[in-house]
Amino acid sequence: MDQFLQQLVNGLSIGSIYALMAVGYSLVYSIMNFSNFAHGSVIMLGAYFGFYSLTALGVPFSAAFGIAIFGTAAIAVIIERLAYKPLRDRRAPFLYFIITAMGASIFIDNSVIATIGPTPKTFPPDLLPAFLQGAPLEWGALSVGRIDLTIFVVAAICLAVLMVFIDFTKLGKAIQATAYNMKASALMGINPDFVIILVFAIGGGLAGVAGVLYGMKYQVFPQMSAITLKSFIAAVFGGLGSLPGALLGSLLLALIETFVSGYLSTQYRDLFAFIILIAMLVVRPSGIMGKDAEDKA
Amino acid sequence: MRKSLCSMLVAAMALSLGAQTPATVKIGWFGPETGDSALWGQAELNTVKMMANDYNAKGGITVGGKKVKVEIVAYDDKGDSVEAVNVVKRLISQDKVVAIVGAQGSGEAIPVAPIVNDAKIPLVASTATNPKVTVSDSGAVNSYVFRACFTDPYQGKVAAYFASQKLGKKKAAILMTIDDPYSTGLSQYFKENFEKAGGKVVSEVSYTSGEKDFRAPLTKIKAANPDVVFIPAYYNDVALASKQARDLGIKQLLLGGDGWPSDNLISLAGKSLEGCLFINHLDMDGAAAKPMRDEYKAKYNKNAELNSYMVHDALLMVVDAIQRAGTVNSVAIQKALTTCNLQGITGHIKIGANHDPVGKEAWLIKIVGPDMKFQEKFATAN
Repeated sequence: MDQFLQQLVNGLSIGSIYALMAVGYSLVYSIMNFSNFAHGSVIMLGAYFGFYSLTALGVPFSAAFGIAIFGTAAIAVIIERLAYKPLRDRRAPFLYFIITAMGASIFIDNSVIATIGPTPKTFPPDLLPAFLQGAPLEWGALSVGRIDLTIFVVAAICLAVLMVFIDFTKLGKAIQATAYNMKASALMGINPDFVIILVFAIGGGLAGVAGVLYGMKYQVFPQMSAITLKSFIAAVFGGLGSLPGALLGSLLLALIETFVSGYLSTQYRDLFAFIILIAMLVVRPSGIMGKDAEDKA
Repeated sequence: MRKSLCSMLVAAMALSLGAQTPATVKIGWFGPETGDSALWGQAELNTVKMMANDYNAKGGITVGGKKVKVEIVAYDDKGDSVEAVNVVKRLISQDKVVAIVGAQGSGEAIPVAPIVNDAKIPLVASTATNPKVTVSDSGAVNSYVFRACFTDPYQGKVAAYFASQKLGKKKAAILMTIDDPYSTGLSQYFKENFEKAGGKVVSEVSYTSGEKDFRAPLTKIKAANPDVVFIPAYYNDVALASKQARDLGIKQLLLGGDGWPSDNLISLAGKSLEGCLFINHLDMDGAAAKPMRDEYKAKYNKNAELNSYMVHDALLMVVDAIQRAGTVNSVAIQKALTTCNLQGITGHIKIGANHDPVGKEAWLIKIVGPDMKFQEKFATAN
């Protein structure tokens, strides 16, 4: 039982990181109908922004977190303007968007490898807030790392705020309307260009949060963007384009992974995770919460 | 008459050798300049470049009475076995190197072995410790593959001996990288020897390389409640695993092998490795390592890594073999390597029948604050 609870906590702590990353994929997909594979690289940049603000600029942790969020939001919008807008203007097929996104991702990853180098870095513990520096919290046999707990809480707050924003604000409604039908909402006076920039800025900002949290939990390294692919899978699993779906998909995928590696063996983890993913998509091609069946690319 | 014939013969041989001995000798190096183990690959490349400069500053190395400059041809294998095979083929066919050093990981050295055997180009591995690097699956010795380091069976034996006899540990757990022959091999030898010594391995769990979260397997280890946790992995995984183990409330001693030593280990792991122990090939803070440590630091403004010292000895073996062979012929260099018997930075290297150094000492190092402190050294029969 102790082991079960501990594995549950392990799974939730991974799942909350997946969820923060997955909503970025889902948001962009809901508006633009393509998978923004550059998102993983933006997450990676967020981790570096946070790391260098803290260590090189020497700003307090909260400021470093802020710099990372605004930095990645700006980068995401810049990628949209430079890479995707020219394609949209020319009404390029969606495949071109995906290839462009992959290109942007490879470009960013390799720029970091070439300039900063591939060696992993770790957030210096003494520069983190005092709460994060102590020993893990223990309840009986259950032990939870302070960073893990913080990530879970921060991820929950971010996702709750995002859902409230989407459901209850005018801008959120504009995003929903554009996601439903871009042409019709444009006729109703919603500027699609503005909505697209807004979505990339939100997705980018969340990438900054996810990057810093991931960097704190594990390490900061250029290949991080490849790891975020798991969160893309979670987003597909939950239903691309749906925010609650991304959240649910992330938690489920992380729990499946953790329990398979905890009770069977690590070698079977990806095997099981992907069998379940494929079975899910056979039964429900649009994912758990996806609204209608479209091609997932 | 006889004497003059002899001298004529010698002169003729010298002439023909002179014709064959070029002004430079090309020695290949390959290793990861990028990727997870880039730190070590870069340390190796820095070292071989530094050594080549030092040789050339003295006019080169003496081959058959003639000074020959050393040229290092280096390729990045990204720590990937397929890439390693490609770059070794390129070193042999395109660059026509006479010998190769590097191959720090067993995962890269093993697939490369048949290629250098076929091409008859000697390879001296720096830190590839898996037994299959020099002895193939069929039990035959890879005639063109040598190494400067001790092997995993030896290292596993030392670690097991230390855990059970010296520390008095009865129950051990193992966390290994399932797709890395270095890690699985070392785990197996540790387990065999630990159980032979009367201990018991209570939990054996694994992860795949590239993984960053080890909480699921570590939770299994915690439930098994061992006395000591053996982690035969590389420093980056060790740093992640040790932090996560402490987060999960695993307070036991962590023990490791030669994948641990790195200048980055302690900065990545923080306090999670305090008091933990690992087996190394040398005392990197000791007197034998000092000249190279200082030269490396002065040149690159970085600390030399374990791989710097290991590749130093590997290149030393190649240069020694070329000089003793008196020719840059690869077959003759291979012959000379089989009788290698020299004092390197990492200890005395005498190549045995399996092309491994015989009776090389293993050093036990303890992590104390920001330092890696030498404890004691062992030498047992291989």
